[in-house]
Amino acid sequence: MRNNSLITKKRVFLILGIMLLGYVLLTVAPAFAQDTTDAEYRPFPLIGSRNAAWIAAQLHLLFGSFILGVPMFAVIIEFIGWKTKEERYDRMAKEFIKLCMGAFSTTALLGGVLVFVLLWCYPKVMSKLSGIFGPTMIFYVILFFGETFTLYLYSYGWDKMQGRFKGWHLFLGVLLNVWGTAIMFVSNTWLTYQTSPGTQLRKLTEKTKESWIESSIAQNPELTRSEIMADVTDHTVIPLHNETTGEFLGTVWEAVNNFTWMPVNIHRLIGNIAFGGSIVAAYAAFRFLVAKSKEDKAHYDWMGYNGNFIALCGLIPLPFAGYWLGREIYMFNNTMGINMMGALFSWLFILQAVMIGVLFIGANYYLWSGMGRIDGGEVYARYRPYMIAIIVICVGIWMTPRTLSKISSASELSAMGGGNHPHIGFFGLMTAKNTAVNIIILTTFLSFLFYRRSGKSPTVSWKGFGNIIISIIFFLGVVSIVVIGIVGFTVDTDIRVNVLTPWQVVIALTVMFAVTVLDIFMYRKATTAGTIRWGQISERSQYVLILLAITFTSLMGLMGYARSGLREGWHIFGVMKDTSPDAFTPSLSSAVNTVSVIMVIFFALVGFIFWLGLWGEKKKDNSVQLEDEVSAESDD
Amino acid sequence: MTKNTLIKIVSLIIMVISFIAFISGAGAFPINTENDQVLPWSVWFTISVLVNMVLWYPVMKLVSFSLGVIWFYAFVAALVPNTSTATGDVTSLDWSDPDAVAEIGLTIFNTKGQCSACHTLDTSAPKGRCPDLTDIGLNAASRVPGMGAKEYLIESLYDPGKYLVPGYGKIMPEVWKNPIALTKVEIEAVVAFLQSLGGDIDPEPFTEPIDRAEIGTTAAALPPLLSGDPEAGKKVFISAACISCHEISGLENPNAGEASDDFEVVTAPDLSEIAAFNELRYIEESILLPHAQIVSGYGKVTVTANGITYQGTLVSQDNEQIVVKVKADDGTETEHTILLSELDEEPIEELDNLKGRGYLTLTVTPLDADAPISGEIVEETTESVTLKVGDSTQTVSKDAVKQRFRGIMDADGEEVIGELISGDMDSEEIVIMVDGTEETFDPFFDFTPDSTMFILGSGKKLYVTSPMPDNFPFLLKVVDQADLLAYLSTLTGSTTTEETQSAEASEDTGDTNEEVAE
Repeated sequence: MRNNSLITKKRVFLILGIMLLGYVLLTVAPAFAQDTTDAEYRPFPLIGSRNAAWIAAQLHLLFGSFILGVPMFAVIIEFIGWKTKEERYDRMAKEFIKLCMGAFSTTALLGGVLVFVLLWCYPKVMSKLSGIFGPTMIFYVILFFGETFTLYLYSYGWDKMQGRFKGWHLFLGVLLNVWGTAIMFVSNTWLTYQTSPGTQLRKLTEKTKESWIESSIAQNPELTRSEIMADVTDHTVIPLHNETTGEFLGTVWEAVNNFTWMPVNIHRLIGNIAFGGSIVAAYAAFRFLVAKSKEDKAHYDWMGYNGNFIALCGLIPLPFAGYWLGREIYMFNNTMGINMMGALFSWLFILQAVMIGVLFIGANYYLWSGMGRIDGGEVYARYRPYMIAIIVICVGIWMTPRTLSKISSASELSAMGGGNHPHIGFFGLMTAKNTAVNIIILTTFLSFLFYRRSGKSPTVSWKGFGNIIISIIFFLGVVSIVVIGIVGFTVDTDIRVNVLTPWQVVIALTVMFAVTVLDIFMYRKATTAGTIRWGQISERSQYVLILLAITFTSLMGLMGYARSGLREGWHIFGVMKDTSPDAFTPSLSSAVNTVSVIMVIFFALVGFIFWLGLWGEKKKDNSVQLEDEVSAESDD
Repeated sequence: MTKNTLIKIVSLIIMVISFIAFISGAGAFPINTENDQVLPWSVWFTISVLVNMVLWYPVMKLVSFSLGVIWFYAFVAALVPNTSTATGDVTSLDWSDPDAVAEIGLTIFNTKGQCSACHTLDTSAPKGRCPDLTDIGLNAASRVPGMGAKEYLIESLYDPGKYLVPGYGKIMPEVWKNPIALTKVEIEAVVAFLQSLGGDIDPEPFTEPIDRAEIGTTAAALPPLLSGDPEAGKKVFISAACISCHEISGLENPNAGEASDDFEVVTAPDLSEIAAFNELRYIEESILLPHAQIVSGYGKVTVTANGITYQGTLVSQDNEQIVVKVKADDGTETEHTILLSELDEEPIEELDNLKGRGYLTLTVTPLDADAPISGEIVEETTESVTLKVGDSTQTVSKDAVKQRFRGIMDADGEEVIGELISGDMDSEEIVIMVDGTEETFDPFFDFTPDSTMFILGSGKKLYVTSPMPDNFPFLLKVVDQADLLAYLSTLTGSTTTEETQSAEASEDTGDTNEEVAE
């Protein structure tokens, strides 16, 4: 006990020390940057400034997602355990919060590294940003303290707050997530401002509007003020800066509430849920694969299922949030939007389609594998070939490039009659892709529905009628989505983007909601035909969980490149030019190579943290069977 | 060490080395000639991962599998077309090799210039957002009569909205401006590339139709309007009829005594020495935002007191009363002293920016109160307003006040006024509490059109505006505004004599009269 207490104190001091370091860095950042503005850039040895900042930022972000996503998972699981009174849920949640402690200090450490790199390599950029966002940085520090102390209370108070204090403990867990989410929202302001430093007219102050008019007439003296304002609508984007000098003219709130801030917030929030679930599932898969006893395999099979379930819950709405983000980028700057989807980054979205295709196929495969260990689950096996076919076809449509001109030879182009394939070329248009995505989502939802129903028989008298209604809802939903998709080929982009695609999303969500409600009522008092044989799932399915976690993480890295790369030769798009040697957007391959290196470092660090968790368990209780087996395996 | 162990270790080493080699873009091994790449690193890596997956124990299998997944995405990325926006350091062009210049232009076209995002170079491709540029080097010469191909291309890059190809919108940004911001050298290269598409490259240097340096200094040096010409500004002062109301010593009003249909001639401040006592920013603001600050004694006001409306010039104002000078139709002027307490309450439909709209007092009924409260407006935020009620203050939330309704009955012309219980003009019925009784009306049939009003409160209002036309800054071209400001900035009083002489000289040459005649 004494040793444990000593270790705990040491850890507390270590984390406090890192926090203090972070606090000092953040508070002195503006002053430091102010003092060094003579140097616009300083080189970073060996790997260069951009790579250094890229690696530090991406690792910080991934660990940040870890410590945001995993507590979300933990609180949900703890709540389930509290309500169902199954202790294994509570144990699992606690296990992950312990892992979070290690990840938390690593996140803070990487944050400190990132600040150092940015201050050293990009003093002028940091000076500019801290000049605009100074108040938010103070707020960030306060939130950071709040999150840290809440995490301590939540983690160290786990055992003592059982029983009648459990509700309060859950409240702490929710509070921890609120702090974490708020921190993410604040830091998102800085990076989204760099991408979209503009606001819409209706949000403008008089001062900003006047300055914008001045800038416009300075560039075109022939215009009158009324002519300048004649084309201005509610959606006119007016930069918050003097267009020539770059002087910031808005309020802090106008800088914060830029075009991409809230979409990025929501996208990352949902993404973190999916990421947290997938990391938990990957951890469970690792433990499953090295486990020898049936009990351990059963436990980690069950844990992997829960992790994957949470990941799926996040994955399904993620494309909708991504769509909103893309739309706001178009609203901010049409050229930037075109560049993203139709030019410079168009092939990135083909790679993204490959990754998301892997995610959906993997997630469905895991569910189908899982049904194999449920007595009575085999009745749904007959649907699998059709579902596989639907998903593969839809992924294929999603992966279809808009034009093949860059990957075709002259003779191939001649044979095709241009850059578009004569038969499948129309799949490259967004209306086809959006249709495909919605159908993939509904198919995955159907897989989950089958999994949920496996081994159960409804007892309600209207089960036959209920199934017919559910089938009709699915049928009508899919038909509507396809019809809207076909209509999308015939209308203007504006109508497709603002009307048709949102309707497809609404239909998909409505189908899922309606079917879920009906299914819950149908299976409320269902009889169970057979038990779930936890631990008897195939090893391949566990590799799928690892595949999903790596793909999620790689996707985050890839999209980070897209979001940041959209700025091209700008530190702050259209406001502060990047004049360093790295003032260009690297190619997709070059970027993915960098992301790959980051992935290797990240998973090595995560593996180390997992190993630390195992090590701590071993020291505490040498009799734990699983750890002995892992150890024996390692000595082989 | 067994043979099996040796294979495992070697395979592991190969996996790590080939992964690093692939990521870092190293050439193939063992043979690496340009056209003969035997066993590239991707093959080495794939084989080693498969071997590891078979031979190693679970942890190493997992490591190999994980590395394999990470590598797979890098492999796919390497297969698809890759474009970087790096254009190299294009600071000068070697015109001895025009084709090489066009090649640089193509790179810029596809990268930094972002042209390929919208323009196609393939007539068989579906219609793009912007015109296809196949053979543009040839066709450009026939686009605008009298304009050569190169001239047209230059014009299209610097001012793309000037000549639009039929069927295409005005969506192309000016590429020399932010955020694309091509330099002159880069634009020269792009023009060369476009000329090469069916035409001949003309290496003759061209002058940019814009002045980058001037634009930079104009916007950087505030205020931007100071770049005007004072002499031209004086003509604007006369032609824009400023002189009808404002006097400037030594400057004669050619239209003196004439009335105008467009505006009312009033007595306005003498501007003879305006620049001697005022910041330039103030003068600029007075031109651009005439209502921002009003010289005491010159403000225009409309108030209603005891049912009588007074419209005229606000001569003076204190906490108790105001003096308004009203000009009758026959030209006689009368000063009226009005107590602020005698001002009539005006209905208020929106509670935002009350002080900015001139309200001195406010009467509202909070949702949780039965009787209205009334008081002087002390402080106002977007959410609430603080009133001085008697000796104390009371803050009322703007979102929590009772809404009243007022409308004239269509049938008998009777006014219905009372607290709104439910409904609006779009609903089928509207319920109003009239004298303690709830009454239901049909908003469409019961009230005369335009007589209805939803009232949140009432208040005494004193809104002072400038007699200058509201749209004054919108009437002038920006260059005229600049000239006018430049002229006014010379009026320090000390140059009055020179001004007079200058004005006389102008009249001698007839310049001013010509301008006025225009």
